Amino acid sequence: MGVDAFEITVNVAKLILIFLMMVQAVPILVWLERRGSAFIQNRLGPNRVGPLGLMQLLADAVKFLFKEEFLPKKAVAFLYLAAPVVALIPGALALASLPLGSPIEVAPFAMLGREWGPYIFKVQGYDIGVGIVFVLGVSSLGAYSLLMAGYGSSNKYSMLGALRASAQMISYELALSLSLVGILIVYGTFNFYEIIAEQQGPLEFGMFGREFRFSFLPDWGIFYNPIGALLFGVSAFAESNRLPFDLPEAEGELVAGFHTEYGGFKMLMFYIGEYGHMIVASALLAIFYFGGYGLPIPSWSTEAVNGFFAAKGFGSTSASLMTALVSHVSILVKIGIFLWIFIWVRWTLPRFRYDQLMDLGWKTMLPWALANAVVTAVWIYVINIK
Amino acid sequence: MSALFAVIFMAVFVAAFGTFLVWGTAKLGPKRVPNEVRDMPYESGLPGQDMKTTNISVKFYLTAILFILFDIEIIFMYPWAVTYLDAVRAGAGGYLLAVMGIFVLLFVIGLIWEIKSKALEWD
Amino acid sequence: MLALADYMFYFLSLLILVSALGVLTMSNPLYAALSLAMSMLGMALIFATLDAWFLAGVQLIVYAGAVMVLFVMVIMLFNISAEKQAFSRGTVSGFFKLASAGVLLGLIAGSIYMSAETVFTPPPIAASEKLGDATQQLSEALFSRYVFAFEVIGAILLVIAVGAVALSRSVGGSHAND
Repeated sequence: MGVDAFEITVNVAKLILIFLMMVQAVPILVWLERRGSAFIQNRLGPNRVGPLGLMQLLADAVKFLFKEEFLPKKAVAFLYLAAPVVALIPGALALASLPLGSPIEVAPFAMLGREWGPYIFKVQGYDIGVGIVFVLGVSSLGAYSLLMAGYGSSNKYSMLGALRASAQMISYELALSLSLVGILIVYGTFNFYEIIAEQQGPLEFGMFGREFRFSFLPDWGIFYNPIGALLFGVSAFAESNRLPFDLPEAEGELVAGFHTEYGGFKMLMFYIGEYGHMIVASALLAIFYFGGYGLPIPSWSTEAVNGFFAAKGFGSTSASLMTALVSHVSILVKIGIFLWIFIWVRWTLPRFRYDQLMDLGWKTMLPWALANAVVTAVWIYVINIK
Repeated sequence: MSALFAVIFMAVFVAAFGTFLVWGTAKLGPKRVPNEVRDMPYESGLPGQDMKTTNISVKFYLTAILFILFDIEIIFMYPWAVTYLDAVRAGAGGYLLAVMGIFVLLFVIGLIWEIKSKALEWD
Repeated sequence: MLALADYMFYFLSLLILVSALGVLTMSNPLYAALSLAMSMLGMALIFATLDAWFLAGVQLIVYAGAVMVLFVMVIMLFNISAEKQAFSRGTVSGFFKLASAGVLLGLIAGSIYMSAETVFTPPPIAASEKLGDATQQLSEALFSRYVFAFEVIGAILLVIAVGAVALSRSVGGSHAND
């Protein structure tokens, strides 16, 4: 994980920080969800504990910690207890492989009587060359925790919820992975950094031997493949099992779906996994279609921002650090906007029926995603004919 | 290789963190009083029935097997997609388009057949 | 002298072998399926030690994410306590288990022994500059040299899809009354 003690320490700290970021985001999102739903439904929501009800998060966490331990008599104890732990892993592994800021270049420096560096630290847990394939791979492990919870609880509702959830997840995984083929054709790489680098600067492309240039628009993927972005977004909703796709926990029919028998912190861990999926989906949407950690103004590319801080009198290391900070805030804002859309949709649309859900996945999303890929491929071929 | 260590570290750390939370909340919470009714599987207030009476549609199995097939086909499109742009610029785009065209045609025939044969209908 | 990569290989091989043994020895079918998933995860990690991250991802998506989910679903679908009784008890089934394990072991040992020379001389591999990974070479091989096999896979997958739908419609079978 590094060549010397400093690099290894920083890399391990990054991994732990990213995981804590995911865990910490959950109470904030739950608060946002409750306040947001109250706002949409013309209610007040939690507003008594602390300013704006923010302390409610802390009170809830403490309450969850001190809940009574409960193990149903018929449950398969190992599966029942392992399922919430397994629920945390796919989201955390996927989130740590996403770039959340421009790389920090550290110039050589002296500390504790010896020379250190130079280093390049990436604002992500680990850089895997084929980024998106890795993310899809670990996300596909998400079905295990549901099936373990459903089988381990030995409850009809849990079992039905888990089966529904996994059938739904795998159906929409097809549309999800196929909707990305179009944008992969456009960029010709799996690597997140190369994809983000392609999206810097103003929108310009060549077609039939002519050059088109829109200097007021950023060079984002959404302008090349809008249908792919829409399909990806909708499949991401279904993958995270939320309204309008929350059939696995349809409370009118299945009590609470696969976590019917869970309470206290174990239930909260399923929520952490679910919100982790949402954060990963939002970050992927930002990286593929909205410029990743780039800023939305075309002339403010990462190099330009770095140059701006260097001209202000920062050293090369601190200029790089400031650039990383700015780009980190940029992608966090994008992720936050998409998460708000997740919450907004949840409290606006009614739930589908199960046959409608499956019809949408197999008969609408899958053909459209396929058509998107084929049309993109043919179009790329046609415009490049000399 | 270095990335692999980081991945394994992350997985082990998250698993340890989760196990610690499950163990810790079990220690922190109040001790339970044995209670036969509460230990039964939750059944909306009725006495619990056995799992065997639950019939599960074979559609779930069919969905899963069709998912595997289409998933494999989509995975084959991934390496094709990332080499396509370079191939088009190098002049080999027509060949690659034809190769994938035949593959996608088989995919489309399969999908149309599944829809026509009502294998994807849920009722 | 063993390098770090070698220790990694032996550790992962141990993981794969232990979980594969678990598939055979666990009497609860769901635990057996989960240990099969574990051994497939180990395979993906072995690919990752060779920096073949694309293959590792495909192993996760196709085997751990799709095939094993199907297995686990099928196990949950049927009430298999009767089969569990039939397969995990009895001298005759024990004899068959031992015999088939022995035959398989002999086959594997024989094939390793006979192909040792070709396996242990590694072919020269040229590193691709662009992707830092073998994906480029993989697609070149797949879409030029093995293009016929690639198209045949498409046709076979179509046949399997038709067959699966036909099978799911057939009436009767050992679980008709479940």
